[in-house]
Amino acid sequence: MEYLSEVFTLPAILTIVLGTFAGVVVGGMPGLTATMAVGLLVPFTYTMDPTLGLMLLGGIYCGAMYGGSIPAILLNTPGTPAAVATALEGYPMARRGEGSVALKTSVIASFMGGTFSIVILLMFAPLLARQALEFGPAETFLLALLGLAGIVSIVDENTSLLKALLSGFLGMIIAVVGTDNMSGGLRYTFGLTDLIDGINFMPALIGLFSMLQMLELAGQREHAPIDTSAINGSQKRAKLPKGLGKYMALGSGTGTVIGILPGEGATIAAFISYNFAKQISKAKHMFGKGNPEGVAAAEAGNNGCVGGSLVPTLTLGIPGNSVAAALMGAFIIHGMIPGPELFTVHADRTYPFILSMFVANFTFLIIGLAFAPYLARIALIPPSVMVPIVSAFAVLGCYALNSSVFDIYLMIAFATFGLLLKKLGYSLEGLILGLILGPIAENGFSQGMIIGRGSPTIFFHSEIAKVMWVIIIALLVPPLLSIARKWRASLRAS
Amino acid sequence: MQKRTFVTGLAGVITLALGGVAPAFAADYPSQPITIIVPSKAGGSTDTTARIFAETAEAKYPGFEFVIDNIGGSGGQKGFETIARAKPDGYTIGMDFTPQLVAHIVSKRGKYTLDSFHVMGNVAEDPGIVAVPKDSKIKTMADLAAAAKGGDLTVAVNGIGSDDFLAAKTFEKEAGVTFNLLPTNGSTEQKAAILGGHVDASFMNLSQMIAQHKAGDAHIIAILTDKRAASAEDIPTAKEEGFNVTMTATRGFVAPAGIDPAIQSKLDDMLAAVMADPEFQKKCAASKIDLLPMSGPDYTRYLENLETSVKAVYDAAPW
Amino acid sequence: MSRTTVDRIVLAGFVVLAVLLYISTASYPGIAQKTSAKYVRFLAVCLGGLGAVQLGLSLWKERRTMPLALTGHVGRFVGLIVGLIAFAVAFNTLGFFIPAAIFVPVISVMLGQRNPIVIAGTTLGLLAAVYLIFVVVLGIRLPGPQF
Repeated sequence: MEYLSEVFTLPAILTIVLGTFAGVVVGGMPGLTATMAVGLLVPFTYTMDPTLGLMLLGGIYCGAMYGGSIPAILLNTPGTPAAVATALEGYPMARRGEGSVALKTSVIASFMGGTFSIVILLMFAPLLARQALEFGPAETFLLALLGLAGIVSIVDENTSLLKALLSGFLGMIIAVVGTDNMSGGLRYTFGLTDLIDGINFMPALIGLFSMLQMLELAGQREHAPIDTSAINGSQKRAKLPKGLGKYMALGSGTGTVIGILPGEGATIAAFISYNFAKQISKAKHMFGKGNPEGVAAAEAGNNGCVGGSLVPTLTLGIPGNSVAAALMGAFIIHGMIPGPELFTVHADRTYPFILSMFVANFTFLIIGLAFAPYLARIALIPPSVMVPIVSAFAVLGCYALNSSVFDIYLMIAFATFGLLLKKLGYSLEGLILGLILGPIAENGFSQGMIIGRGSPTIFFHSEIAKVMWVIIIALLVPPLLSIARKWRASLRAS
Repeated sequence: MQKRTFVTGLAGVITLALGGVAPAFAADYPSQPITIIVPSKAGGSTDTTARIFAETAEAKYPGFEFVIDNIGGSGGQKGFETIARAKPDGYTIGMDFTPQLVAHIVSKRGKYTLDSFHVMGNVAEDPGIVAVPKDSKIKTMADLAAAAKGGDLTVAVNGIGSDDFLAAKTFEKEAGVTFNLLPTNGSTEQKAAILGGHVDASFMNLSQMIAQHKAGDAHIIAILTDKRAASAEDIPTAKEEGFNVTMTATRGFVAPAGIDPAIQSKLDDMLAAVMADPEFQKKCAASKIDLLPMSGPDYTRYLENLETSVKAVYDAAPW
Repeated sequence: MSRTTVDRIVLAGFVVLAVLLYISTASYPGIAQKTSAKYVRFLAVCLGGLGAVQLGLSLWKERRTMPLALTGHVGRFVGLIVGLIAFAVAFNTLGFFIPAAIFVPVISVMLGQRNPIVIAGTTLGLLAAVYLIFVVVLGIRLPGPQF
């Protein structure tokens, strides 16, 4: 408890607020990542008071994870890959004039997920970290399958099961380009140095989401105006739909658990939370068309990763994701080597740092709620202003991530080809799931096969693996049954 | 800035036309900021090294200004190519790291050779190590060799062609064994695999595992350098145990070949002076960067030897 | 071209891609045969198989010949793509700021914005915001002439 007093000093609070605000901005800019911001600021904290330095970086981490959802909702431009699932529901809501509701849902869900995960970090870190180590390559492969199971539930009146699956496989095949990790050989890179690391997510995401949207906006014969009455009038006091609590709780739990697994990130957590929400929702048909339940689950899921990812980072020195890895650098610079000592010898710094993240969550909650009605007006900007600005940011964002002009061309290609696929009834969501989860699945599969010495039984061996198979099947059966029912009904009708 | 470059360029052309001997102006060098190309993403340990160098050099040498340009990805290949291609006017230098620098040459992927660079000198290193899970029966390198006899030992390395991989291959040859090699996506996966007991051993770098070793979560059985490391005196070298396996990841400075010797020697001297600076050493120590000063000629010889040994491994089993 | 025709061409493309992909796995070296090659072959079989089934269904059932409308306004649509490509081409030599200062007003006018104050305001606002965040605060280097 004495550590609380360290957090509630003026310099500390100012540092946290500054860090969080900076984090929201960084997270909201495609092309700027929390990893980059934390990495660049780590040497800077060397001259700062260690505790304050860590608080600043913690604030950036919390803020950035939330910040990604703002452009996702307003501009269909996920600021980070983790906000993709948010864009799927948030943007349709904004188009309906419910941007403010979507923003509020997102900030409250982010707050819930973030806070829950930090409570877990504070209370159970060492215990959970040991458990997470049981999770090996074989289980990672199953986790990717769990995420990919979401493809089946994409199916709706626009997308048939076949086309949803085709999109997913296409995404996974695109993700195969690059270095083959197992042999070190290059696959399908056509001699281009830019492809050695494979096709980057961010240009693909920016292309498939924001640029595609801008192309559609630019090509609209008449600009369908957004329902402005909703924004102008009662939006300031717009109430959140009831019953979102359980989706936030679901997302918080899922996100925290996935965050704790070493090396698994917020993107997969958001997608799996989103898919869970879709399965238990009573308004399944509203998913993909602007369902706040999806926003709630996805945002609670990715923010749940913040606290979760710090569990293995602080207790074992195994970073939960790339931001946590950069944060670990800051601990090391100040002579705080991750491990049990962090909670004993360095407790006077570690605990204030963890507690400061609660303040960071409160900060973005207040920022988010206060600005939501004003930010929602961004949706009112006419396309003639919006399209050039978003396009310029898209170009810059693609370049900045890897200083690669090639990525800009990639983004343009994804936007144009993606638009064609969309018009033909393919699912871009499936394509993206494949792109993001494909490499995780491949790596888990290949490593599992090596550890299992070529025998696939390793994927069924451990207790965790068995439980995961049960979840995968539980996720697959209901949507498949409902597809079968519809198919039979349509046969009978004809 | 552009204007000034133009003027300098014009002046250069005139000097050349008049039969001048100095194509660039060593006397008023530097007249613009010097770009340091870092072939990895911002925030990594190579990047940190470059930034600490720039900071110290700017403080020590008034008039010098540095800009860091991160060109990450493809195991540094893109960055190395950019350095090799850069105009040799003394306004672009870069960092290199091994064994990737030579591995890209050996695998015939890099559009450069060692001759494309003027090697300025080495700054830091990260020694190779062999780590095992904490309750492993393997306690020494001899145990490792014995346990690997049946070809049934799963050993994690960080990707094919990395320093870990080369060290593992050298050990295989030295001990006459074959590992069930598990390539991973970086040290995080290796750490998780060792701590979770999913693999039997892992070849990696000291900085990646030292904390876990000290906390007792994992055990480092050997360090792959000639002498024991100052930061970890308890870890024996592989040589002490009778296995001639040395591997370290070096990080140094290179410049594109062909810079005016007067300017180049200014830069080389600056690197040596910064390396000797106590403030620089203090900052590096805080960031857990192990310094390994090597002069330009020494480092050139090191790189050439490394190229030969990497080539031997590559020719036996190309990747 | 009708939507159905384009759809069939794309599907046929998937099948060809899948076949090529399957054949290419034969050349994976060493350990990759037991690991990555299996994974890629699985993907190829799935894409090719599902693509073929979908193509078959389309040939068997679909008779509609709706034209495929990618966009409602071809000029603006193509204009934006051309603008983006020009931006990317200029990026290496001119960096971000100069091309952006041309790109933003041009696209703005193309999309029907006629108010010069709005155009100037958005262009300058964008450039200032990028300069502040990228160059001043984070010190990220953008290519092209330095200011």
